[in-house]
Amino acid sequence: MINKNHISTKIFIIVMMIFLFLPFFNKSYGVEPDEVLEDKKLELRARDISKNIRCMICQNQSIDESSAPLAKDLRIIIRSKIKEGKKNDEIYEFLTDRYGDFILLKPPFKLTTLALWFLPFIFFVIGVYVVLSHNKKSK
Amino acid sequence: MKKKILILPFVIFSLVLLTFFYLLIIDRNPSEIPSTLLNKNYPKFETESLLKKEKFLSVKEFENKTVLVNFFASWCKSCSTEHKFIQRFSDDETIKVIGINYKDNPKKALAWLKKLGNPYSNIAIDKNGRIAIDWGVYGIPETFVVSPEGIIQYRHVGPVNNKIFKKINSIIKKNDK
Amino acid sequence: MTSYLGNFLLWSSLFFAISQFFISRKINQQNLKFIGVSVIGLLISSTASFFLLMYAYVISDFSLLNVFQNSHTTKPLLYKVSGVWGNHEGSMLLWILVLTIFNYFIFKLNSKKNYFFILKSLETQALITIGFILFTVLTSNPFERMISNEQDGLGFNPILQDPALAIHPPLLYIGYVGFSAAFSMSIATLKLNNEEKILWFNYMKPFVVAAWSFLSIGIALGSIWAYYELGWGGWWFWDPVENASFMPWLLGTALLHSLIIVEKRKSLQAWVLFLSILTFLLSVVGTFLVRSGILTSVHTFALDPSRGIYILIFTALLGGYSLILFGNNSKKYFNKNYFTFFSKEGSILVNNILMVVVCSTVFLGTVYPLLIEALTSNKISVGEPYYNSTVVPIIMPAILIMGIGPILSWGKEDKLKIFKKILPSIFLTAIMTMIVFLFYQSYSLIGVAGITLAFWIIFNNIMILIKKVKNHSLGMIVAHLGIGLLILGITGSSVWQEEKISRMKINNNVQVNKYNIVFKEIKEIKRSNYLALQGNFVVHDNKKNIVTKLKPENRFYPITNIFTTEASIHTSLLGDLYIVIGEGNLNDGWVVRIYYNPLVIWIWIGAFAIFAGGIISVNSNLKKLKNLS
Repeated sequence: MINKNHISTKIFIIVMMIFLFLPFFNKSYGVEPDEVLEDKKLELRARDISKNIRCMICQNQSIDESSAPLAKDLRIIIRSKIKEGKKNDEIYEFLTDRYGDFILLKPPFKLTTLALWFLPFIFFVIGVYVVLSHNKKSK
Repeated sequence: MKKKILILPFVIFSLVLLTFFYLLIIDRNPSEIPSTLLNKNYPKFETESLLKKEKFLSVKEFENKTVLVNFFASWCKSCSTEHKFIQRFSDDETIKVIGINYKDNPKKALAWLKKLGNPYSNIAIDKNGRIAIDWGVYGIPETFVVSPEGIIQYRHVGPVNNKIFKKINSIIKKNDK
Repeated sequence: MTSYLGNFLLWSSLFFAISQFFISRKINQQNLKFIGVSVIGLLISSTASFFLLMYAYVISDFSLLNVFQNSHTTKPLLYKVSGVWGNHEGSMLLWILVLTIFNYFIFKLNSKKNYFFILKSLETQALITIGFILFTVLTSNPFERMISNEQDGLGFNPILQDPALAIHPPLLYIGYVGFSAAFSMSIATLKLNNEEKILWFNYMKPFVVAAWSFLSIGIALGSIWAYYELGWGGWWFWDPVENASFMPWLLGTALLHSLIIVEKRKSLQAWVLFLSILTFLLSVVGTFLVRSGILTSVHTFALDPSRGIYILIFTALLGGYSLILFGNNSKKYFNKNYFTFFSKEGSILVNNILMVVVCSTVFLGTVYPLLIEALTSNKISVGEPYYNSTVVPIIMPAILIMGIGPILSWGKEDKLKIFKKILPSIFLTAIMTMIVFLFYQSYSLIGVAGITLAFWIIFNNIMILIKKVKNHSLGMIVAHLGIGLLILGITGSSVWQEEKISRMKINNNVQVNKYNIVFKEIKEIKRSNYLALQGNFVVHDNKKNIVTKLKPENRFYPITNIFTTEASIHTSLLGDLYIVIGEGNLNDGWVVRIYYNPLVIWIWIGAFAIFAGGIISVNSNLKKLKNLS
């Protein structure tokens, strides 16, 4: 009995871990017809990047969703950089060099954002610990 | 042990509220984003000039003087409201005022300058907004102070007002010494 | 005149609230009569002040600054009425009204057996009410007089002129403020003497369920508004204002479920007391974040630091007092309890923990940019990608467990038995998921996970219904079914959304999903408070039958000088066809965005089922309470 219960909790943890590493939702809005790249693969890359870039004037909207002129300019620049063969990281760097980390909707891993990225994981571990410590068989 | 844990929610709660309190009382504009270009070299560029036939070469224009760079356009309403302050800067002999005409029609821009007066010693044309992006501009008018060494010392987003005018002036004075 | 009357009503509300506070401090049964006068007086004066303002809006009484700033004679009646809470000052009156209504409901529960508990709850409730009335009178008085004489008002934001948004704030406030009742009862419980015994959790539960249900439907209506009005096909943006309502919802969910454990097993009492304090505190902190202007956001109300500082001090007092009280008095409610993992209480405990973890993560994401700014004067953004990669993976196991939880028995259960119980739903889920994917032909890990989880919940609950298992509340099943449908809609619309952005001239056509859409004409139309360019699109299906005509608009409101886009949507059970028209002219054509959003309608159906389930449950909980006294 004791063993069985341990196995089931282990399975539970493994299932949770699998969920942790799933790729996540993809949404698509915005963008004007004359901007779109012909190569579908490249266009998809451009969309992915623009979804992570914040529109500076509108709050909490990505440039992919925004109709602001600056958002459009940035979308066009991203596409021209992709055509030039630039890598995603280089494009992100180009943007943060000019607008700072603020422009990234997904904050970068840095010393200052360490807590932001690791605390959810720590919350989760604490949660698992609380559950396990209340498990009847562990006492 | 248990007692100590019970204090924890209170401590976290207080810390969060303290942060809020600090942010409320300091002088802060929540929609202003600090420039990453501060204390770095200004981004060099080459383009047409609105006033002269020769090309606008930033390397030539930015010389051993403090330079005030002002992004403006004739269609931008708050550019007219800050205009008198830009005029006052142009009276200052120790600095050079450079305009960057953002996404504008050159004819309209010239008419606008004729009406309000031209404070700029030279004006670069930023037809598609590419120069502005290099400067990290996100909403005009924006004003930059570039030191004689070509380092960006200050950036202001939005129209220059009395307070900002004084702030910029004090930076200019320091450079002059 | 209106101004004097309004101010008089506000001050008399304050008077009644203060008298309620002092009367409630003497604990004896006779006091219930006296306090009844205060409670009812408070209810009447706050109701009167609210309807006075509403009347001023309806007749466009511009002697009030608030009406002048936020209304206009040409506004349709519905939006004149909703204009009352469409602005900060007016919405505070609504907030106070809801607070006093809940105050009255607490009072109505009184009896010979529970008078000490009711009085202690009314004491805290009075303090909260005093705090908010003072806030309104001192910093945001809606009855401020207009000095000059004006013929017409300044109007208000046309984006906010939408039926869903008109009823969204009242529902949301019932949610937020409903948690104040749980908060007051929690404080009352912590202050009980050793000889005073009461089943406090039975009193708390109907309030929590009611608050939670209204919060759910309030959030859903906000999303509906965003989906129909903002015009880019999205409905949730992880905006700080949305987070401010989502966080109390998450904690409310945890609270609701742990109350079930307390009821059945008498364990987790301290945890429930703590959660109910935290839930209301988060509601107030959320209000603070929105109203103080500390963060800029699409929804933010007018900026005024004095308001921020007032709410901040109020929150500090409320939070400091309750958390310290909890630290000192909660000892007798602690009892170390152990659960078997595979039992009803085990599954609820796991869900509880996961909800709190998600809530902490959302909280972290919301305040982290502020922390960074305070510490380093740098600014960062925490947007949708962050939440998708942190919240989604934590919430998924919670949903997995949610499917099985209601089937498990209390105490412990044989694993083989459990397996036998869930076998049919596993089977059905697998089949339905396969059918769905054969239909959509588009596979992604997240899609498979989402659809599987949705059907998992739906079938488990249907099985409970079919088997007529005893002791299962109908409300729970309906609400859980709602969650299943919600997940179905969310997954479908996120994973299989199709989009076509093109420049269309008159008589051009495009193919989106199974629809063929022809751009027929574009014309100017004129309404009482706006002008619009209206496109006319004829939608055909595969067999070339006309399905519908869609007429998206580009509106211009001359009063406030604002342009808006009105999406036009054809809704069906399988998906929405969503058309927005952008810039353009006759020669080059118009930018037309067409989205096919699969299964979106199920999000709203799910949300309404959650609400309905909640209301059913409130009803049955109230009956239980009546039997008790």
